[in-house]
Amino acid sequence: MDKKLKQHALIEDALKSQIVAPMPRSITTEVMARIQTADAKRPAIITWSDFAFGFVIASCIAALWFTSQNLPPILLAKLRMQSILLYQDFMVNSRWLVPTLFFGLAVLMVALTIPTLIKMTVDRAR
Amino acid sequence: MAETDPSLIQRAQKGDQNAFAALVDEHQRYVYNLALRVVKDENEALDLTQETFVRAWTALPNFRGQSQFRTWLYRITTNLCYNRLPNLRRSLNDLGDDVMEDIPETNLNNPAIRFESSETRTHLYKAIDELDTNYKLLITLRYQNELSYEEIASTLNLPLGTVKTGIFRAKEQLRTSLAHLEESWIKN
Repeated sequence: MDKKLKQHALIEDALKSQIVAPMPRSITTEVMARIQTADAKRPAIITWSDFAFGFVIASCIAALWFTSQNLPPILLAKLRMQSILLYQDFMVNSRWLVPTLFFGLAVLMVALTIPTLIKMTVDRAR
Repeated sequence: MAETDPSLIQRAQKGDQNAFAALVDEHQRYVYNLALRVVKDENEALDLTQETFVRAWTALPNFRGQSQFRTWLYRITTNLCYNRLPNLRRSLNDLGDDVMEDIPETNLNNPAIRFESSETRTHLYKAIDELDTNYKLLITLRYQNELSYEEIASTLNLPLGTVKTGIFRAKEQLRTSLAHLEESWIKN
């Protein structure tokens, strides 16, 4: 048999036959004692602020829907016309605003992401 | 009859501490073994094992069963090891993912190899013990905990190529050590 293959076989054999170290003592009691203390309490998956935030968003959507349902048809048509005019005015006179808005959005995303990335890097380095 | 892991996990997720205690009983040995290989200190390994299970309890509601429960525990353990050994993560990342030659699986049923294996086994165990921590972590996950390369990559959050390179290099170190042993036999 090729020498290298033989060595490989011996190494594989040694790696696979390593003994799993026995536990010096069971830690079950200590773990169970710790999970009963306050610091190991499970964090709630949904917090009260999530509920409040969800409620506000849902209320806004509901209000918008009810308003749109109860507006007189003539007013709806006027609104649609005004929005088209605004869009056209925007496209003609404020075209520069498009890249500015995108840039602003990118800056916002960076501002939201960078602190988290820095925190992850610091945590990893610790 | 002993309860299976999935039903214990389900009960523990709902807050059943007895079910979680059964899980701790079942898996602590393997977690401890991994921690011991990395930190090389019995007390510190025990401490890490304990911490792993406390964190596992806290995070258990988020466990979706995409991986084996034990693999998930190994992930928590290795993250704790990263915190204790700041250079471990870096040394794993620095392994890179070089292209390596593929060594075919070898049949160990040859009695001559078996004999020589028992002769050299002690030497190889010592060599395994002296491997760098990053290699030892990879080797332990692969051979003692029997994780696939993909599972190791996912557990350590490393590219698959890096895992393969690391294990290949660890074996190369062991092969060099074995070659030195054989050379010393020839000289004597």
